[in-house]
Formats: sequence, structure tokens, C-alpha cells
Amino acid sequence: KERTPLLWVFVQAAVVVAWCFTDIETGPGAGVTLSYQPNGDRFKIEGRAIVPGVKTQDWVSTARILVESEEYVGFVRTDGSFAVNDVPSGSYVVEVVTPNYRFEPVRVDITSKGKMRARLVNYIKTSEVIRQPYPLQIRANGPHTYFMKRETWGWTDFLMNPMVMMMVLPLLIIVLLPKVVNTNDPEMRKEMEQSMNMLNPNPELPDVSELMTKLFSGSKGSSKAGSSSKGTRPAVKRR
Amino acid sequence: MAKLLLLCLKFIVLCSTVESVFEDQVGKFDWRQQYVGKVRFAHFDTHVQSSKKVLLATEKNVFASLNTRTGELFWRHVDMTGPEGNIDALLLHGQDAVVVVGNGRQLRSWDINVGGLNWEMVLDSGSFQASCLVGQQDVVKHVAVLKKTALSLHYLSNGHQKWIENLPESEAVDYQAVYSGGNGEVYALGVVPHSHIAIVAYSLEDGEIIKQTSVEAPWLSDIQGSCAVIGRGMLTCVDSPAVSLYTLDLHGQSEMTQIPLQSLGLEVALGFQPVLVSTQPNPARPPLSEFFLQLGPEHHLLLQLNNDQIVTLRDFKPALLVSFATSGEKTVAAVMSPKNKTACSLNLFSAETGRRLLDTTLIFNMDPFGGKPETLYVQAFLKKDDSVGYRVMVQTEDHTLTFIQQPGRVMWTREEALSDVVTMEMVDLPLTGTQAELEGEFGKKAAIQDGLFSMLLKRLSSQLILLQAWIAHLWKMFYDARKPRSQVKNDVTIENLSRDEFNLQKMMVMVTASGKLFGIDSKTGSILWKHYLENIPSNAAFKLMVQRTTAHFPHPPQCTLLIKDKDTGLASLHVFNPIFGKKSHVNPPALPQPILQSLMLPVMDQDYAKVLLLVDDQYKVSAFPSTKNVLQQLQEIASSIFFYLVDSSQGRLSGYRLRTDLSTELIWEIVLPTEVQKILSVKGKRPNEHVHSQGRVMGDRSVLYKYLNPNLLAVVTESTDLHQERSFVGMLLIDGVTGRIIHEAVQRKTKGPVHVVHSENWVVYEYWSTKSRRNEFSVIELYEGMELYNSTVFSSLDRPHAPQVLQQSYIFPSSISTMEATLTEKGITSRHLLIGLPSGGILSLPKMFLDPRRPEIVSEQSREENLIPYAPELLIRTEWFINYNQTVSRVRGIHTAPSGLESTCLVVAYGLDIYQTRVYPSKQFDVLKDDYDYMLISSVLFALFFATMISKRLAEVKLLNRAWR
Repeated sequence: KERTPLLWVFVQAAVVVAWCFTDIETGPGAGVTLSYQPNGDRFKIEGRAIVPGVKTQDWVSTARILVESEEYVGFVRTDGSFAVNDVPSGSYVVEVVTPNYRFEPVRVDITSKGKMRARLVNYIKTSEVIRQPYPLQIRANGPHTYFMKRETWGWTDFLMNPMVMMMVLPLLIIVLLPKVVNTNDPEMRKEMEQSMNMLNPNPELPDVSELMTKLFSGSKGSSKAGSSSKGTRPAVKRR
Repeated sequence: MAKLLLLCLKFIVLCSTVESVFEDQVGKFDWRQQYVGKVRFAHFDTHVQSSKKVLLATEKNVFASLNTRTGELFWRHVDMTGPEGNIDALLLHGQDAVVVVGNGRQLRSWDINVGGLNWEMVLDSGSFQASCLVGQQDVVKHVAVLKKTALSLHYLSNGHQKWIENLPESEAVDYQAVYSGGNGEVYALGVVPHSHIAIVAYSLEDGEIIKQTSVEAPWLSDIQGSCAVIGRGMLTCVDSPAVSLYTLDLHGQSEMTQIPLQSLGLEVALGFQPVLVSTQPNPARPPLSEFFLQLGPEHHLLLQLNNDQIVTLRDFKPALLVSFATSGEKTVAAVMSPKNKTACSLNLFSAETGRRLLDTTLIFNMDPFGGKPETLYVQAFLKKDDSVGYRVMVQTEDHTLTFIQQPGRVMWTREEALSDVVTMEMVDLPLTGTQAELEGEFGKKAAIQDGLFSMLLKRLSSQLILLQAWIAHLWKMFYDARKPRSQVKNDVTIENLSRDEFNLQKMMVMVTASGKLFGIDSKTGSILWKHYLENIPSNAAFKLMVQRTTAHFPHPPQCTLLIKDKDTGLASLHVFNPIFGKKSHVNPPALPQPILQSLMLPVMDQDYAKVLLLVDDQYKVSAFPSTKNVLQQLQEIASSIFFYLVDSSQGRLSGYRLRTDLSTELIWEIVLPTEVQKILSVKGKRPNEHVHSQGRVMGDRSVLYKYLNPNLLAVVTESTDLHQERSFVGMLLIDGVTGRIIHEAVQRKTKGPVHVVHSENWVVYEYWSTKSRRNEFSVIELYEGMELYNSTVFSSLDRPHAPQVLQQSYIFPSSISTMEATLTEKGITSRHLLIGLPSGGILSLPKMFLDPRRPEIVSEQSREENLIPYAPELLIRTEWFINYNQTVSRVRGIHTAPSGLESTCLVVAYGLDIYQTRVYPSKQFDVLKDDYDYMLISSVLFALFFATMISKRLAEVKLLNRAWR
């Protein structure tokens, strides 16, 4: 049972590989340029780096083109285009490196005949091919984010804090309620008492807090709990 | 619900480990210094009057533009290392700089204002010989490149090739120079050694050979070294055996004219090869007819060629260095002559007449611990009154660039030796006098005899001193606060250096490949001392050791530098004080035998200097210092001193034991057959590393104990067969005492370079996977198991159980330049890996991500342990770059040192640049953060205080009112 999925993977891999090869053969002529250089099997990787909204003069002096991290190095021309010379055939990751702008790396495959193709870098599925334009068009996707934002303190943050809300709202009720409702009115007082009774419908039922203490103190303090409940009940009533 | 809560918790934990820089911290704790390397070519930008640029091409394959006012970089381009990026020539024309790179492989033109590339051309193969700008009728439009077999001409505007012509008889003739005098002809000058000179004149227009002559010159072997073109195309050569000058008119003469130097009344210094220096201010015109002739190390002559007659304009003796400089139409000669032992004086002379120009003296003070001046670059400019003013850039043997203005004001200096730091140490600063006094109170034995009363007195007096110091400090703060900020300079000098409260400021002792030592203040980056060691072999290996720290007042701290010639193995020791840089009075022993290994023992002599053992090729051990006390101690503990030797050429690792008579005994040997694999590196653990926790608490509350063998060596090997299918990288973990192989791991279809970090109970290494064409990390962790065999002391000789080994590998989306782990005082703080990337960033990767216990399937227990689920790819997040946009080019090493704060680790990354910062791998848990809001806390406190006061008063009033009712 274990064999079949493995075999299937193999078949799939073979298909992918085969597709790769056919892809090289039938690639569109516009994308694949044949750049043969005088001294045999060394080729040139060409492209253009673009930082949208920034003049090229402002960033080209800090930019470098790294092919397979410093194995081959190229520089950016004043118009943003670049070329890395003397690269033998193989597969390379081409990166535009600047301290301020972020560029996505591109994998460039060069066949022994000098046919080029560019694709997205995928380190996990290394044979996956998602075509990119060649000559390379590498567009910066924004500045690098190096910094974390500081947690700043503002009044709104403070007030919107749930703890503060929980504190402030009861305070408001305590302060404002007596002003709104006239407590000296006997009718009103009766009504309130009624509502209190509504809240505590069965005076015989123990308090939640008492229940908890009983629970945690366990069986040994049952008599004590009883006495304490006796003690607290008048207090409740007094309220 | 519980799951959700745990997940939340984990998220919080993960977030809290994500450490990065805040924007307002930029430059607060960190600094960067950028270097370019030893200068090979330098040209001042003369295109614009009052230009501030000087262009440098260096031996580090860097092309840069400096600001002459400040010495800072405008821009810098770092090419490939090695011969491919080597800069062969630099020609400056207008605002374009033409550079020949990689032994004539590429021709590049840079826009010096923008720092961008104008164009780049790949030239035909063939080794580069010479190049020059070619002009006609005062317009320079071409550049000529001479190679071994061909001469080519390129347009300056776009680099396109105008023509390329093969050189005639290039197998026999060695073409070495190319010359153009602006008359529409390009000359290639070649020599058949000890036979004749070949001169080929090409037409500028189509590359046709106009003329081809060969002139007898049986004495000549090298054109570049002994010839120069002077005046209207006169090839002038100097021949030292015949003590003569020879001149030849390139335009038509067929025989050289000999002018004996004796006829000019001149003599050549014994054994000195005379040198000719000519100048061609405008490439579209012929060179000047004045030239320099150097006849001895300190003897120069300004000569003039006048109708085949040579006239001496001026004799400079002594003169160290000479140089021509041109501004506008005026050409001057600058001459540097020694004044006294520590200073040189420079003067300007008119090139045409040899007359000294008035008010042009400039004094160059030499650093007594530096090297001698080597090269002189002169920037001449016209003053308002049409007289010539000048500034000079002097390069000394220790790769220092000094830029001087009249009358001797040093505008800036650049220590380019720091572009090649080999090794470094961070040394604690000494205590101040008062601090030392306080410390001394408890340390001295006399104190016990003094009795109670005098002790009390002493205590009181020292407290008084402290109070005094504090008041003085407060007064200074108050005084400084009134001054404008720009005037308050925190000048750090050696005198006021002292340790701060948390030992965050240290002395960085840096050793450079040129043999210059530096002491740098880690807080500001200012160079506090420098010392140039002369006669350092060019292929020397250095090892820096701190023998005595600053903790043993009044004994001065002591560092020892072992300098070893890699070829012969012969070594020497330089002993110095790391705080002041002075050579110590202690005389190091002479080492007549090649040294194989050196090791620092924790044993100290009576002066608290740690003992350094040196093993020579006879396997004899010598100790430094080697006093009686030390030898006695060594005899006592000799049986427990083991050391290992690595012979990578034979693939042999061998372990030795010290005998009491300081001879050695071989106890184990491992041979890795060199036909199969070679040893890349051997890494032990850092001796100053502390491990706080002996084990890891698992999800079920049991403890997994770490295997903490201090003698463990990680040996990295690589297959000799580099075929893609058969190559491998091996990792051997060997006990350095017993030679026991604890673990062996092999990564197939991989190759080096391998970067290794070995610390605590783990080894992290990085390699290149040839199969998947990606970089991969692998981590090995060693555990004793659930029980510890002998928890009190670790002995390699008594460890019956093999450790449990866990390993996991990850994909890393970039190659790396270097790798190091953070280090803290007590090892409580979690560890991060600091990874230097080729892009210049230094990534701080939590070790948490490289943990072989990361589960593939998340379980309750792994969640309890805060293990991150396994993901094959490690991410590079720019927030983890500790150096934000302050990139460090070509990182070669990262040095980490603990500070007095457990949370803080000091980091220095060095390569072409030097970057210093602090990292907090577990955030700052032991000090208030620097964004701590004192204002908020105090305002809340005050508000509460006043609120209580007011409410108290209100309550009183209310009570009173109620009482009245």
C-alpha cells in the first residue's frame, strides 16, 4: 500500500521534469534571448530593477546584483538596467540587494547552449516552474521594514482598556444614579426594595460566595460555614 | 477553550521573542565604520573646481568615492573578491571613471556624481597589460586597452569597441605599455628581454599599423619598471648597471641615445633600481618634458628633457616621496622630505623651473606607532590670486590615509587596515581610582591586622571620596547642561576611560592582517590607540589571547598575540597592555621551533597571568610565563592537561597528554583518509561560556538533561570527490580527551563551505545542498537522557552512557557569510544565532527555530513546552536584522561578548566594515527599557496624591456640613 503513493510521486516528478524540458524547447522567442559571448560557454544575465516612485540616481549607488550570493556580482546602471557577465550555464538565484528597498529574488536557468529562463524562487519545491519575464524585470515591493513600532501611550488606549471600562462604569452608576433617582421618595424606595428582592428571589438560598467558600473549605468546615452563613445573612438584609 | 488559551499564550511568547530595533534607537547603541581597503589607485576629481571627491580603487576590489572634506564615503562599490574583481586600472576623465576589472576582463565606466554605472563591456580574454586614455585635438573620446596579444580602442561614451588589432609577434614580444600623445596615433611598446624594444604605432581612426620598429636594447628587461614616455614622445629608460639614461624618439629614431648619468654628475645608490616618474596632465597632449628620477631610497631629481639634452632642475636629497599635480594649466611637483624623526615637511615646486613656491610648506606628523609614508597623492587647486594651493593625501605602510591641508592641519585620517580585521577580543575597562580604592579595602590582607577602628575610618574616608566624586559628577552635569549641546563633547580618552555600571563599554582590541593593532572604544567607535607591528609576514596567522584581565589591580591587564608564519610555522609573541596598547615589559620567550598548537590554561601565576602553553613540532611544551611557581603548578596538574592536534593535510587528529616533565604522550589518533574526505574545521566550545540550566523541562514535567561535555570537538569534513551525486559533508563529534567518537552525521549530496557554531549541547551547521540547490541548516543536540550520570562534575574519562542525539534540518533562503551565537554573562538568557548574510544584513535568528525537538505534529506536550511546529523553511525577516540598513559588507566574523547585564550581549561584526551593537535575545528583562515612561508614572502618582488630598478636604467639609445639619 505504501508503494503506490511513492510511485505516483515518481511519475509526477517525471512528468514535471519532462514538462520542464519541453518548456525550454518551446519557450516563447521573446522571453528567451540567446546571448552568446565570444569566449564559449560564459553567458550574461540581463535585466532591469525598478523602484517605483524613486529616481534611479537615488538608489543605484547602493545597489548590487548578487548571483548565487556573491558568486557573481553585477552593478546597476544609471538607468536601472543591469547585466552580470561571465556566468557559466547552470541555475542561479539572482537578487537585487539594496539596504533600503526590498526586491524578490528570481531563479535564472541557463542551459549549456545559453538559453535563459527566469522563474520564481521556490526552495521547497525546487523543480516548480512559474515563469518570470526574461530579461528580468525586478520591481521593488516597498522599503524594507527594519523597525518595530513602539507602543505609544494615548488617552484613548487608556480609556478603551476593558479594566478601566469596568472600573469607570460602576463609578458612574454610583455617582449618577442617586442624582437621577430621588431616593428620599418613599414610593421610589419601595420600588427599589422590590427590585432588590427580585434580584435575590429566595432569601434562603446561600450566596454564591458562600457556596464557593463551602466548596473550597471542604467537609471539615461545614458547621463553621453554617455559622458564617448565619452571620452574613443579616448583613445582606441590612444592605 | 484551554487549547485556545494555550495557543494565545504561545502566540504571546512567540511575539515576545521577536526582537528587533526600534526606530528611535538608531545610532544610540550602535555604530558602523565603513572602509575600502588599501588604496591602489587614487584620483582627485578635477572636473569641477572645488570638487570634494577623491576616487579610490583598492586592493580589496572596492571602487569608492570619498568626501575630501570629511573623509566619509559618498558611495562605494564592492566587487567580487579574488582575481575576478581585481581592479587593474583606473582612468578618470571628466565625470566618468573608467575602470579595468578582472585582469582585463571587463571595462566599466562609472558616473562619479551619481555612483551608478554608465556602461560595462566584456573584453576578449587575454591578460591585461596597460591602458590609457586617447585624445585628439584636445578632445578625449577613447580609451585604449593593451592586452597580451591585442590592442583595442573603445569609445568613452558607450564603451563600444572602435577597433581591435592583434599585436605583431606577440609570442616573442612582451607588450607592456601603451602611449598616446594626442597626435592621432596609439603606440604599443613591447620588449624582448635582453634583446630589443618593439614599437608599433596604430592609427587612431581605423587601427591600421602605421609604423613598426624594433630598436636594439640588450640591457632592457622590463618597460613598466624602468621606462617612461617624456616630452614629445621620447621614450626614456634607465639602466642601472650601465648607470645611464637612454632616450628614443618614438616618431622615428631607430637607435637609443645613451646619456651616462655621470655626465650629469649623478650617482645611483648601491643596489637601487632607479625609477622614472613622468606626468601627462592631459591625455590629448604629450607628457611634460619634466620628470622625476629616483636614484636612491631618499634621493630624487627633477630633470628636464630639452632637445635631447637632460638638464637637472633640482636635486632633492633627502626626499622620501615625490608627486606631480596639475591644476588648470599649471603643473607642480610636491616633494616630501624628512624633517625630524616624527615629522616630514612637504613643499611645492614649479615643475617647469624647479623653483620652490612660496608659502607652500606643509608639515606631516608621523604617528610614532604607525608606518612610514608610502604614497603621496596631491590635490592642487588654483587660489583666487592664481597661485597654486594644495592638499595631500598620504598613505603609510600601515594602510592609513591622512588628508592634510596647509599648514599641516589633518582634515581626516582613515585607518584602512581595519578593513581586514583578522581577530579581536573585548576587554573590560579598568576601574577608576575611587572604584579601585573601594575594591582594595576588602582585598588587602593588611586590613585584617589594622583593627576595627582603622577599618571604620577607612570605610568612612572611602565613602567620603565617593560622595565627592558624585558631587563632582553632578556639578559637571549641571555645567554641561547650560552649554549648547553641540559644544558638549564626550571626548573619550585613555585617561578618562573607566568601566560603567553594567560593564557595557569595553575595549575592542582588533588585530588586522597588515599587522596593525587597534584599541577601539566599543561605545563610540573611536580609536583610542593603535600600534603597527613591523615585519609581519604577509601570510601570518594571528591568535589573540587575554592573559590577565583588568580585574587584578594593580597588575596591568595583559594580552598576548601569537603571530605565526603559515608556511614555516615559525611564530613570535607580542605582549601588550590592551587598554593603552603599549608593549609590555614582560619579555616573551623566543620561539625557535615551529609552533603547532597553543592553549590557554585557567592556571594563573603569582601575578594573576594565565598560563599559555605552546606546543612545538618536537611535541615539546613550553609555558609562558614560565616562572618556578607556574612550572610547579603545571607539574601538579599535568596529568589532567590534554590537547589535540589537527593535521588537515594528512587528515589526522591526534590527542596528547602532558607529562610532568613538559613532554607529551600520544593517547589517541583518528585518521580520516584524505582520499575520501578532508577536514574543513574543528570547533570546540568557547571557554567563557556558561550554561545556566542543566536540562530542559518537558511537557510532562520530567527533565531531559543536556550532555554538557566541555571537551567536545565538532569536526567538519567534506568529501574529496566533489561530484554532485557523490559529495557529502560530514560532522564528527569527538571527545577531545579520550578521542571517543560520540556521534557521526553525514549529509549526502551536499558541499561546503560549512559554517559551524558549537555551543552548550548543540552544534548548528550550514552547508549547500547540491541536489536541491539551496542552503540548509542542520542542528544536532545531545542529551544525557532523563537521568544525569554524575551531576557534580563532568569527566570525559567516566561517562559510560552514550548521549542521545537529536538532529533536524531546515532550508535557509540565503547563503551565509559567517555565523556566531550570542553569549551572556550567566547563560540564563535564551540564545540567538547571529548570521552574517552576503547582502550585508546581520540576522538574529532565535535558537528556538533550530531545535530538533520541533514536532511535526503538534501535541499537548509540545505545546506545553512552547515548541514551534516544524516548518521546513526558516524565514529571513528584515525585522530581525540587528543592523537595520547599516549593512556590513563582506562580513568575515562576528564577535560576541557578555556584558555586566545578563540580558545584554555585545556584538561586533567585522569584514570590510565594522559594526558594533548590543542585542537582547530575551528582551531587556533586568533593566528598565529605554522607552520607559517616567513622565506617565510620575504624573499618575502626582495626580493620585492630589486627588486624595482634595477628596480628603471635600470629605471633611461634607462631614462638617452634616454635623451642622
